[in-house]
Amino acid sequence: MMRRFFRRGRLDAERAREMQAHLDHYTDDLTAAGYARDDARREARRRFGNPTVIREEIYRMNSVPVLETLGRDVRYAFRMLRKTPGFTIVALITLAVGIGVNTAIFTVVNALLLKPLPFPDPERLVTIETTVRTPRGTFVRQSGLDGRTFMEIRDNAKTMDVAIQGAGGWGAGVNLVAQNQAANVSQARVSAGFFKVFGIAPFMGREFTGEEDRVGGPAVAVLSYGLWARLFDRDPAAVGKTVMLRGESYEVVGVMPQGFTTGSPADVWTPVRPNTDREGGGTNYTLYARVHPDVPVERASAEMNLIVPPLWMPKDPKAAAETSITAGVVALQRAETTELRAPLLMLWGAVGIVLLIACVNLAGLLIARTGLRSREIATRMALGSGRRAVIRQLLVESAVLAIAGGVAGIGVGWMVLEGLKQLSTHVFDFGYPMSLDGRVLAASLGIAVATSVLFGLAPAIYASRVNVQGTLAESGTRSVAGGAGRWSRRIMVVAEVALGVVLLVSAGLLVRTFVHLRSLNPGFDPSHVVTATLSLQDKRYEDAAKVNQLFEQSLARIRQQPGIEAAGVTLGLPYTRLLNLGWKRVEGYDPVEKYLNANVSYVTPGYIEALRLPLRRGRALNDSDRDGAAPVVVVNEEFAKRFYKGADIVGMHISVSGTVREIVGIVGNARATSSGLGGDGSPLIVPFVVYMPAAQSSGAFFRQVHTWFSPAWVIRSSAPPAAVAEAIRQAVAGVDPLLPVAKIESMSTVQSAALARQRFMMSLVSGLGVVALMLAAIGIHGLIASAVTERTRELGIRLALGATGRQVIGNVVLPGITLAAIGVVIGAGAALAVSRLMRSFIWGVEATDPITFAGVALLLLSVSFVASLIPAWRVLRLDPALTLRAE
Amino acid sequence: MTLKRTAARPGADLLQGTLDMLVLQTLRLGAAHGYTIARLIEQRSDAFLQVEQGSLYPALNRLEDRGWVDSYWATSENNRRARYYRLTPKGRRQLQAETEQWDQLVRAIGLVMRPVE
Repeated sequence: MMRRFFRRGRLDAERAREMQAHLDHYTDDLTAAGYARDDARREARRRFGNPTVIREEIYRMNSVPVLETLGRDVRYAFRMLRKTPGFTIVALITLAVGIGVNTAIFTVVNALLLKPLPFPDPERLVTIETTVRTPRGTFVRQSGLDGRTFMEIRDNAKTMDVAIQGAGGWGAGVNLVAQNQAANVSQARVSAGFFKVFGIAPFMGREFTGEEDRVGGPAVAVLSYGLWARLFDRDPAAVGKTVMLRGESYEVVGVMPQGFTTGSPADVWTPVRPNTDREGGGTNYTLYARVHPDVPVERASAEMNLIVPPLWMPKDPKAAAETSITAGVVALQRAETTELRAPLLMLWGAVGIVLLIACVNLAGLLIARTGLRSREIATRMALGSGRRAVIRQLLVESAVLAIAGGVAGIGVGWMVLEGLKQLSTHVFDFGYPMSLDGRVLAASLGIAVATSVLFGLAPAIYASRVNVQGTLAESGTRSVAGGAGRWSRRIMVVAEVALGVVLLVSAGLLVRTFVHLRSLNPGFDPSHVVTATLSLQDKRYEDAAKVNQLFEQSLARIRQQPGIEAAGVTLGLPYTRLLNLGWKRVEGYDPVEKYLNANVSYVTPGYIEALRLPLRRGRALNDSDRDGAAPVVVVNEEFAKRFYKGADIVGMHISVSGTVREIVGIVGNARATSSGLGGDGSPLIVPFVVYMPAAQSSGAFFRQVHTWFSPAWVIRSSAPPAAVAEAIRQAVAGVDPLLPVAKIESMSTVQSAALARQRFMMSLVSGLGVVALMLAAIGIHGLIASAVTERTRELGIRLALGATGRQVIGNVVLPGITLAAIGVVIGAGAALAVSRLMRSFIWGVEATDPITFAGVALLLLSVSFVASLIPAWRVLRLDPALTLRAE
Repeated sequence: MTLKRTAARPGADLLQGTLDMLVLQTLRLGAAHGYTIARLIEQRSDAFLQVEQGSLYPALNRLEDRGWVDSYWATSENNRRARYYRLTPKGRRQLQAETEQWDQLVRAIGLVMRPVE
């Protein structure tokens, strides 16, 4: 049957030949029987019947009605789309951009927020969430806990298996040497049972035992598949061999399977050796737990709420009475994406608006076509075409467009996703791999189909309401442009402009935020400064003398190079996250004021000079502040302001890192990114800093801070940055050839990396805003252009009666401007509501910033004016005589 | 098959089903083109069945679609190109079945139409 359906064209031609042969035979016989040739032919025809009718009957027998009409509609749709290339191209671009951008953002949202984590039974993977309510406020903490809490949970929890990972990772990687090869790798310190919690067993060997995972346990390591392949060339005998990690030898006990990664990727795992005094003294551990099968997650929450709160209660009975603590579990995926959730959902919202505008635009474009085609449709209906047939035809046309646009959109989406990956290098750590997948494809096609129905239905219904007589009669005397359909187009233009305002205001606020953050006074002179970081989380650098020897000798070598103005080492560069450490007052000590925290950094002489931090009072650090000399510190102005009301505190004493030290100087403030201390939550804060001489820091202090942070060399030089970088490398290698430099960057690169997330959001939302503006302009242009086309005759008459071109243009343009103005007002209202939701993304500018709102309004109005003016210009070229004769 | 349908909806279908059967019966003698088939039906019924010759073709299309006949082009006795039809084995079985049903029908009608005694 289907074969005959698709071949029926050829079959029909064959049938015609066959019937002709029949008639010829008949005619032959009749001629033989004595008929004249012409009479014979007539008689044969009479007896045969009408061949055309018979062929049609057979043709119908061979067709499938639905496919038949669908095929015809699709062919017709292609013909119509080819006839209006301008419309088709604009519509396709609109669709491709709308669907493509949405697909790309959805891919990211899907990969990060929706897609189950790549582990067995991912819904059983949880972490801890604690809520502490005090009169000072409510604090929610996810994942983090201290050693004592972990041990309590580990030893008492019956509903789940738990494991922890130690803190780390704000500094550079660690140094690993194996098989005579050195590599800078990322290390994760995890507890016994860590891999079991994730449900993935080592592919070779085993994971850590409880015996290994305790203070003083043997040094063992599990390698990632990638590192094993790279260092051991996939040698199965690697298990049992040793590697040198941070200058210490570790025995390899296992290799993880290919592709295994948690939210924080690592090349090598070692036992965390949980403790309660050093790292475990603070909330430095991240908890991972797997709820046992058949145990409801709520029971795990309830158990957590029994174990944890008593441990966290303040000892002071009065404070305890005012504090309430609850604990529970939260899905790991949710906890890992807490920070990303808001910006991603906001982006998704922005993209949704663009898609909405794209749909509105298409609906407008299609309605305009319907208006232009109303005569054709009226003619078809007058000739007997059913209302349903017309609606079906228009729907097929939209569907053809939507599918073509959807396919183009997938291409655009792929490109946007690649761009996103580039742009987001410093912003999101995509721990899990990400690519366009089936689910994203389905969603994108769903959008295409939904869009098709959305914008296909409105014009279809309008078209089917065409008053056949009215339209045909009107076309003769088309003096006044009419049509109820124009109303829906007007509403759409208003909606488009309003949505555009919302996006552009958001973009404007983000741009203003970025400009604000960029223009903030850094507090130092970042030009001509090169920085270099390397990891000192190394067994060979546990001794204070060894660390200081490295600093002093490398700096001495660097200072010998030409062009060097100043050079120093610090634990924390400006525009990065600084170390938080407790300290105590000496003068005016108040036992109630228990927890004083500040950003503490060790520095060498030369650091303050290299950054040109202004000295406000007292003196900077110098070479005489050595081990054995009187312990000193330098603080910044913000420290003095916050803790001493800005008093001159030079000569006073504070206790830092277990030693009482004299404040010998006050320097200006250098900005940093937020470490959770102070600031207003803005991405760039003015920290309160204590600068401690590196030469007066203890080995224990170095060991502790170097697990989380890496020291940075800071060099001010008039030499080209590349030469400075080379000088640093040679100087470090000259002191310790086994110590690789992890990263060399100019200070301005460090500054710009600090604002990577803001730049990312700003670029993306601005890009979307520009797309929205373009789409709105296309919409307005289309509306005015079709109005001009429809009113050609009327305008011609006006010109003939003596109206000036200016009057006629004004008459055509005015509706466009009016609609845009209405849209701007509505959009501004909506933007006010939206900008309130954006509060956490904007700094240094009010959510109701009048400059942004006025600027966006002005921009949209001028674009609308130009978009209206271009088609209106055509009026001037009208020849009244011609237009009057045209119809 | 045809009979069942005929029994359910007498009238046009009866004639149509009958025409199919007549065509199949004609082709039992050997392959033939459309004109020959029409002539043979006329002649064998002593010119009683005067089919509109054109209506033969939808029937042939249907029979071929059902796989009861197949066709090929060949040169006719008049030295013209013509499309010849022939019975397939499936068509032969179908004809067998239809003939039996037809005989039963005729016998049954004959019994009913006996002169009343």
